[in-house]
Formats: sequence, C-alpha cells, structure tokens
Amino acid sequence: MIISVNNLSKSYEVYKKEPGFLGSMKSLFARRYEEIKAVEDISFKIDEGELIGFIGPNGAGKTTTLKMLSGLLYPTSGQISVLGYKPFDRKYEYLSKIALVMGQKNQLWWDLPAMETFLLNKEIYGISDSDFKENLKELTKLLDAENLIEIQVKKLSLGQRMKMELIAALIHSPKVLFLDEPTIGLDVIAQKSLRDFIKEYNQKSKATILLTSHYMKDVETLCKRVIVINKGKILFDGFLSNLIKQYSGTKNIYLTLSNIVDPSHLKDLGEIKKYEFPSLILEVKKEHVNKTVAKIMEKLPIEDITIEDQDIEDVIRDIFEGK
Amino acid sequence: MIKQYFLAAKNTWDETFVYRLNFSIWRIRTVISLLITYFLWLALLGNGSFIFGYTKAQMITYILGTAFIGNLVLSSRSATIGDEINTGDLSNYLIKPMNYFTYWFFRDLGDKAMNMSFALIEFFLIFILLKPDFYLQPNIIYVVLFVIALLISITILFFLNVLVSLLAFWVDEVWPLRFIFFIIIQFFAGSLFPLDILPKPLFLIFSSLPFPYLLYFPMKIYLGNENWQGILVGFLISVIWIFLLIKFTNFLWEIGLRKYSAQGR
Repeated sequence: MIISVNNLSKSYEVYKKEPGFLGSMKSLFARRYEEIKAVEDISFKIDEGELIGFIGPNGAGKTTTLKMLSGLLYPTSGQISVLGYKPFDRKYEYLSKIALVMGQKNQLWWDLPAMETFLLNKEIYGISDSDFKENLKELTKLLDAENLIEIQVKKLSLGQRMKMELIAALIHSPKVLFLDEPTIGLDVIAQKSLRDFIKEYNQKSKATILLTSHYMKDVETLCKRVIVINKGKILFDGFLSNLIKQYSGTKNIYLTLSNIVDPSHLKDLGEIKKYEFPSLILEVKKEHVNKTVAKIMEKLPIEDITIEDQDIEDVIRDIFEGK
Repeated sequence: MIKQYFLAAKNTWDETFVYRLNFSIWRIRTVISLLITYFLWLALLGNGSFIFGYTKAQMITYILGTAFIGNLVLSSRSATIGDEINTGDLSNYLIKPMNYFTYWFFRDLGDKAMNMSFALIEFFLIFILLKPDFYLQPNIIYVVLFVIALLISITILFFLNVLVSLLAFWVDEVWPLRFIFFIIIQFFAGSLFPLDILPKPLFLIFSSLPFPYLLYFPMKIYLGNENWQGILVGFLISVIWIFLLIKFTNFLWEIGLRKYSAQGR
C-alpha cells in the first residue's frame, strides 16, 4: 500500500464581508469568521502503480486533499500515510519521492528558459548527470518537446508550458505523482497528447498517480478506479464501470426513424432526451429496456436502433445534483 | 548539496538582465538619492571643518560610504516571500527537498552581487567627476572588523525582511507593512545622517534596536571613531539580535505553515 488516508478532515476559516463601503468599514473592526469544511472525514487506500481519478465539482475538496497528501496543508484531523511518511513533516526523503503538478500554478522561472529550472531541480533533488540526461531525453521525447526547453518560458504557449511543467516535476522520477487539473485550459489536441503521456508514463515508470480533473474524458481514458467527492465527502470509490452500473438506472436507446412520428406517440415509451428527425434518443429504465424495444419494433418505423449506457458525464452530474 | 543554492543565485543574476530597463531605472534612482544627500551635506558643511564631532572628510565618507554599502546590505529580493505566501506560489518550494530560507538568502546574494557590480562603476564615476574628500582607513584591523560588521548586517537585514514577509500568513497583503518597514530602515539604519548626532538618550534607545547595525555601525567602525568598548558592545548586541531574529523567524514559520492555505484556486 502506497497511500492510506483515515478519517481525514480539513476546515478553513474564511471571513465574510457585507458588500459595499459600509460593509468594508464594518469588517475592519468586527470580522465575521466562518468555518468551512473543505474535506470531511474521508478515508481511502491506494496501491502501488494505480492511476486514480479524483472527480468532483469546483470546491468539492479534491485539491485540498491533494495538498494534504503532498504535505502543503496541515490536516485538521485524521491520519495520512504516503510511502510510510507523514506528508506534513516534509522530510527530504519523502519530498524527493513525490511530485505535485498544479495546472494553474507554475514552478518554472518565468523569464528564463525551462532548461534553467530543470538544472536547478537537478541540484535540488541531487540527480546524477547521467540520470538527468536520460530522464530529460525520455521525457522530452514522450512529450515531443525537444526544441522547447531552450525557449524563455514566457514565450511558450499554455500547452507547451504545461509540458515543461511536467518535465520539471518528473525529472527526479517520483514514485508518487499528484496531478491537479493538468489539462485545464488546454485545447483538445494538447489535452489528448498530455493524456497519452500520463498513461504511458504510468505504465513505463510504475509510478502511482492521483489525478483530479474537470474533464470526464481525462478520467475515462486514464483511470480504472475513481473516487467521487462532493462537498468534502466521498460519494463513490471504485471502478468506473461500477459507478455507471450503480448510479445509473437508465439506458439510452438511439433510434433512426424512417418517417416522422408525432411526439405524443412516443411519450409512453420513455423520456424523450432529444428528437430531431430522423434521430431520436429515448431514456428508459433498465428493467423496461426489453419491453420498450419490443414495443418500438412493433410500433415505430425504424431504420436503425442501438442501446447504450448513460454517458459518464450524465451519471456524474446526476450524482452531484443528488438525483 | 550547496550547488542548488548557488544556481538560484545565478538565476537571479540572469533574471535581472531580462528586465534591463527596470534595473537601470532602479540604479538611476539610487544614484540620484545619493547625490541629493551628498550635496545637502556638502552645503551644510560649507567651509567648516567640523560638524557634530565629525571632520568634513569623515562626514562625506560616512554619507558616501553608507550609500555604497547600502547596495550590498539593503538590496534584496526576499520581499517576494510575502507575495509567494499570499499567492500560494510558496507551494512550489514546500514540495521540494530544499530549505526555503537558504534558497532566498542565496537569491538575495545574487541580487546583491548584481547591484554591487553596478555600484562599483557608479562610484568610480562619482569619484572621478566630483573628487569627494574621502577618508581611507589606514588601519587594517578596522577594515577587517568593518567587513565582519557587514556580514552581520546582511544577516540581520535578511531575517528582518523574512519576518515582515512571514506576516503574509495572517494578512492578505504585506506591501503596506513593507513600505513602513522600508522607511523605518532608511531612517534608523543611519543612511541619512550618522545616528550619534541625535540626543544621547534617543541614540541609546536606537542602539538597542537591530537597525543601526545595518549601516551606521559598520560605517562607524570603518571611520575608526568608535572606541573598542563600543565596538565590542555593538557586536554583542547585533549577534544577540541575529539569534533572536532566527528564533522568531522559525517560530512564525512553524505556526504560519499550519495556517497556510496554499491559495491560488
């Protein structure tokens, strides 16, 4: 076991201000503080080499959890053990085995080429010349970024910069990698190339990777196991396929019609998700699928029919909305 | 393991070259403020040979000298620590096996080296153009003690800077504090005039603070008009201050980190 988290909680104090000048004056003398529970009593375990997706809406507590795991935040209560260390002690042996990449924070020296940051990290982590050369070659090749490392960081595009961030974070071959929204703000192509990289890196290096993302596509293609978190609590922890099975009581029936059918005739078949002739999508309860398909065959003029599970995105949204 | 910190100093040096205009303007500002103080004192001194117990050469040396060592002592980047705490950029360092303070101390050194190299050129020009009445200390012992006092002064300033910056754990913006801090240093460190021209009780109070040991004390040693007892007491007080400042810095850092919220999202 690489990571074990028991009954972990973290709460913040934030102060509230009434709007306007008067509110500002008031807050100068008497501030109203409010305790916010960012993470509440969560527990999970992660094995070596796993690639796990952390999903949840904004403010769910994903990032807070990652920050506690990497030793940045002091937990309000509960225990964390990563690689046998207590993260907040921030022992050098521990820190040299982990890495944290935040999609919205950069560690690169903005005014200098990324290579300067890599060289600094080489010294910080005490990487030997040969290991450094080898890792750098491997990483730049995987990311297709050989010609970017000598360019001033501020001249790079967001996608290119993210690649440099990843190299800077991985140059010391960490055993555990925390990725916080690594694909945020990137275009589809850059997203895909980053995703491919993470997958390949996980397989090659056997590093344990914990990833948070807003993009379901990231999680779908990368992670077998997901932890769904909302309002600081874990709602689901298990295989992605089970999540769909467990939370989605319906399936979608995709139809191509050969003649226009009045919507009123469709009502008793299921819920109409979309109807733009000739295509029709019906959402039907799982236990009614067989019956409904038989009815459709009998009643509707169809050219084509397919039955599919709900979109992972829809399922997740339903969970968060508490359906 | 020290190499990483030298590299940080070197990168700071390199970084300065990126903002050439910014840096040049900063240098111009430094030279102008030096010239203002210089000509002000020149006018005050007139033809008199003594003022407040200083000879004309000593006073001119004091003014030019504090301005010169000010480049070494006062130039620093560690004010950025406050911003890094507020923006959450501190996280980048906390997740690395490195000492954050040592890192910033070396970045300060990089900045000092850069400022000093320019100050050398500027002073060379000032000496050629204005031919000031500058006192050269002939006694090597005073010069050695002066250098030691400078090292102490650099250390004191670093920890004062860090302390002000660490307040960022509790307040959202440290710039106003930093501004006040800067004014206090300008005055109490003795960059405008030698502090011992103040009334005696006031001077004694100042002497118990860390500020006079930044510029005034090293310069007094250089001029050789501090007696041995005064030098000894001065070193003692400044070393005690270093000890206290380190203790207090560590204390604030420990409790600050527990409050740190790694903002930025």
